[in-house]
Amino acid sequence: MRYSKGHIILFLTPLGLVVLFMYAMMLWTAYVSLNNWVGMAPSWNFNGLANYLTLFRMERFWINLQNNILWMVIFIPPTAFLGLVLAYALELSGRAEAFFRPIFLYPMALSFVVTGTLWAWMYDPGSGVINALLKGVGLGALAQPWIASPKQALYCMIGAAIWQYTGFAMTLYLAAIRDISREIIEASRVDGASDLQVFIHIVVPNVQHATMIVVAMLTLFSLKVFDLVWVMTMGGPGNSTEVLSYFMFVATFRQQLVGLGAAISVIILILAVVVVIPYASWSMKRMQT
Amino acid sequence: MKRPTRLWLHMVLTIAEAAWLLPMYVMVSTSLKNPREVALGQYIAPPHGLELNNYIVAFGVLKQGLLNSIVVAIPATALAVFLGSWAGFFLAMFRFRHSQTIFFVASVATFLPYQIILIPFTQFMAALNLFNTQLGLIVAYLLLNVPMAALISATFFQMLPPELQEAAALDGCGPVTFYFRILLPVAQLGLVSTTILIFTMIWNEFLIAITLTQGPYTQMATPVLAGLKGNYAQLWHIQMAGAMITSIPPLIIFIFLGRYFIAGLMAGTLKG
Repeated sequence: MRYSKGHIILFLTPLGLVVLFMYAMMLWTAYVSLNNWVGMAPSWNFNGLANYLTLFRMERFWINLQNNILWMVIFIPPTAFLGLVLAYALELSGRAEAFFRPIFLYPMALSFVVTGTLWAWMYDPGSGVINALLKGVGLGALAQPWIASPKQALYCMIGAAIWQYTGFAMTLYLAAIRDISREIIEASRVDGASDLQVFIHIVVPNVQHATMIVVAMLTLFSLKVFDLVWVMTMGGPGNSTEVLSYFMFVATFRQQLVGLGAAISVIILILAVVVVIPYASWSMKRMQT
Repeated sequence: MKRPTRLWLHMVLTIAEAAWLLPMYVMVSTSLKNPREVALGQYIAPPHGLELNNYIVAFGVLKQGLLNSIVVAIPATALAVFLGSWAGFFLAMFRFRHSQTIFFVASVATFLPYQIILIPFTQFMAALNLFNTQLGLIVAYLLLNVPMAALISATFFQMLPPELQEAAALDGCGPVTFYFRILLPVAQLGLVSTTILIFTMIWNEFLIAITLTQGPYTQMATPVLAGLKGNYAQLWHIQMAGAMITSIPPLIIFIFLGRYFIAGLMAGTLKG
């Protein structure tokens, strides 16, 4: 099909303008972070890196950053592992797969606000579902304060996220497992390999690209997680479940420390760029082959 | 070859399935219980009757929010998919100077957390007098989702057979005619997937919704549901009814168009 320069302009201008606008706003945020802007109306008092230095001296900032890192460490491995095991189990289950698969996937369609509402109740120490179930089967001694405990709340929230995202990992792994050549698997079966041996020696080494996608996407999720925190704990108890994006929102829109909020945004941006740039270039290379 | 019975497989799948269904089950059953039943704490027991009053109460709180979500999500989705697929088509079909760069730059913009543009976004909306309006939300979601729609639709369009283009070229059909006459009717898998994924994302979105609107008249369903949790604290039957009502559109999409939803979700990771 023939096309001219005019066509390029015609087709790409809307997208181009939107993308330019977004990058311009990122730069704008970066510039705001260098100003002492307090209050609703813009105030341009350039103060260099003062906002960042303030931030680095706040214990709250380091707790939030640590919580984001805990999210990555505790959320990603179980989600990926469960997703892979379930994908393999589904692949082996043959026709039952069509029945089981949607059960792990429907949470992906729900809003985090719904998930948060639901799981805040599951974890409620007084009248929550999990403690009620434990009491119901005579294991009342195992009842926990869950979401009400500063020590457990973050893990509880991550549990809800694992419930929501396992189906996502599972789908990516299922596609990857189906791309593995049938012959390799059949040949190893003829040689007497067990399910576990096939899993370890054939499946795991051949789904690395799916792992890349899962880890990249879940890392980005861990960096921007906000809704679950807002709905389930408001960052509490204390600030035990606060994360950077929550702090950014509170600092900017509640305390009106806009310069400080912008500095937190820039830190989130830097952390995200470390993941996004390599990931985007890697996936573009894959798409071309 | 003899198939082993695989006890482990059935155990893993059954346990995991029970764990994944339990939250949904208690959400549905509790949303239909009366307060006395809920107070018993026997959440596994099915409801005795159908306490539809919970839904009436929750709907009363949510109805303006639901309406706002519909009014915002439908035009924002339609425009984002149109403008996104317009560019996505061109990027998927033609190789020209910098086409890869444009694709790359748009992907990066899509994946970066949008917290980083939230502050200028609110200023921009305030400057245009769009703060706390439905139009403002439409503009915001449109801007955020055009790059996403471009990437997802481009991923699908790349899978179309090249013969389609060759045949069109022989007939002397240009890109604009091709987009409207051939691509839109032929690439329905991609377009439907992009549309329902973006609709669901907007419907479920929370951060933009609470940042750009305040108060009951303009808020979308998700902030209202989050507020319901505060106002009906410990009234789990009302909260669960509210959560159910808010989930109806995405769940209907998932049940009837699940294949497209998942396809869109996968394309959104650029998995190739």
